[in-house]
Amino acid sequence: MRLWRQGEGDRSAREAQILGWLFVVPAVAVVGALILYPLVTGFKQSIRSGGFLFGEKPGYVGLRNYRDVIHDPTSQSAMRHTVEYVLVAVSLEILLGIAVAVTLHRVFRGRGFVLAVLILPWALPSVVSGVLWRRVFDPDNGMLNSVLLQLHVISQPHVWLASGRGAIIYITLVHVWGVLPLISLIFLAGLQSIPEEVYSASAVDGAGPWRQFRYVTLPLLRPSVAIALTVGTLLAISIFDEIYVLNGTALNTRSILIQVYNTTFVTADFAHGTALAFLLAAVTAAFGAIYALALRRATV
Amino acid sequence: MITTPGMRVAKIVAIVLIVVWSVGPIVLGVTTSISTQREVNSIPSHWVPRNPTLQAYRDLLNGSTGQTTGGTVTRGGDFVHAMTNSAEIALGAAALTLIVSTMAAYALGRLRFRLSGAVLALLIGTLVIPIFVIVIGLFQVMANAQLIDTKRGLILVFVATQSPLATWLLYAQVREMPHEPEEAALIDGCRRWQAFVRVVVPQMSSGIAAVAAIIVLSVWGEFLIPLLLTSTMSAKPVTVLITEYVGKYTTNYPILAAAGVLALIPPAVLALVLNKRITGMLAGSS
Repeated sequence: MRLWRQGEGDRSAREAQILGWLFVVPAVAVVGALILYPLVTGFKQSIRSGGFLFGEKPGYVGLRNYRDVIHDPTSQSAMRHTVEYVLVAVSLEILLGIAVAVTLHRVFRGRGFVLAVLILPWALPSVVSGVLWRRVFDPDNGMLNSVLLQLHVISQPHVWLASGRGAIIYITLVHVWGVLPLISLIFLAGLQSIPEEVYSASAVDGAGPWRQFRYVTLPLLRPSVAIALTVGTLLAISIFDEIYVLNGTALNTRSILIQVYNTTFVTADFAHGTALAFLLAAVTAAFGAIYALALRRATV
Repeated sequence: MITTPGMRVAKIVAIVLIVVWSVGPIVLGVTTSISTQREVNSIPSHWVPRNPTLQAYRDLLNGSTGQTTGGTVTRGGDFVHAMTNSAEIALGAAALTLIVSTMAAYALGRLRFRLSGAVLALLIGTLVIPIFVIVIGLFQVMANAQLIDTKRGLILVFVATQSPLATWLLYAQVREMPHEPEEAALIDGCRRWQAFVRVVVPQMSSGIAAVAAIIVLSVWGEFLIPLLLTSTMSAKPVTVLITEYVGKYTTNYPILAAAGVLALIPPAVLALVLNKRITGMLAGSS
């Protein structure tokens, strides 16, 4: 009765209540069923034994699977590789990203064209990037071998993807090719937010281009660096597609995610596969949190 | 800004390097795709084919036995089938995600309803969950629902993975838009949902277009999830099929490159046409 007497205002508030819920139900349902529910069932698997398939009684085993993966030599080497992927990728992305942004920051003829071309590698599937780059690293007759042979740097073709560290660097290069556009855009947006007066003031003080870059641009880019570090790390830590296309599940380039794939879907060991995946997720979350804090400090 | 001639030259060199780095691998893919395996294998390798041919495209589209193509077996029709699968999955997922996310973004941004703060936190919170921790559980959910190896299943999964980001980007837009048009419609006697359909959605159209492009690009490039959730041509997207052309011992580069070139045309065209919108959205969102 009260609702009726209060009239229009209340009716529209009630309408907002009902419509609000109706409108979010599809999103909540699909995210709940296909992200949150699998997250919970996946976590349950990571604290259960592998079951009869692995000659064990089914049941909860606490953190044993996690201990197993931490001590497993193959997983350990996958972790080392992942650290290398992240370090190489992120440092290349930051250095090249700043260089690209500084180059493209100011207006010049054809800038629109260069910006359009710049984002192409980001738009392509990473599987296709791998396919495009494969011939460059081909062990028998790739571009790298022909160029180096012709320059007499090497005397015999080198099997690039079979050697340890080199292979990781080549795969990272392909990964960086796809991610660099995004990082460059982050730095471009950062440069655009620096007011022009700062530069004219420092020019009046007699600062040359390099000093301006070192003491004006770089410090003011700190928030962008924090964002780029976060984005770059999160993308590189879960590297998978480029490795799969360029070198499959070979041990010398195996990342954590390739190891998760191999454990779970090749050897059907769901218990250890999920444990390793959740371990990686925990590390990812920790990095995200650290960078979020750094970003807040950089912007305040 | 002081510019010396040396700096101008350095800048031009840098611009040329950026263009070469960005387009070089694509150009190499195109030249490889119109080469023959013999030219690729010759020592030193021919990077620009002396006798360009479309044979690799014919082998890819019409099928090849592997005897003439150095071990790479292709089945006629498979590639086109995979491309249409990719297109259906990307467009289907984008359309559904946009419906779901536009509604959610409007409700969260404009309608005051109970627990709206909690719903927003829940959706944004899922953004920090890396996809790889859910794939194993997801595989079992999909198997139980008999959605393995179906396009429907993949579309649903991508709606779930894309909705949180899409909702967040559209929510930011709803918050910035002026309220007046909707209020005017309500005063004119429109119901809330009518105002949403007739006034708010058109107001959001530029944001919706940019988000649509980002979803299509990202779903077209998906690899790990379809690798796990498909097994036959009935749902396999082009990214998964391409990796099957990578030979274990030798690879037929012209066929592989032809597949890569055809698979990159749709996203490349989309990125070039909508590049201003996409760059704006990407730079703004991160």
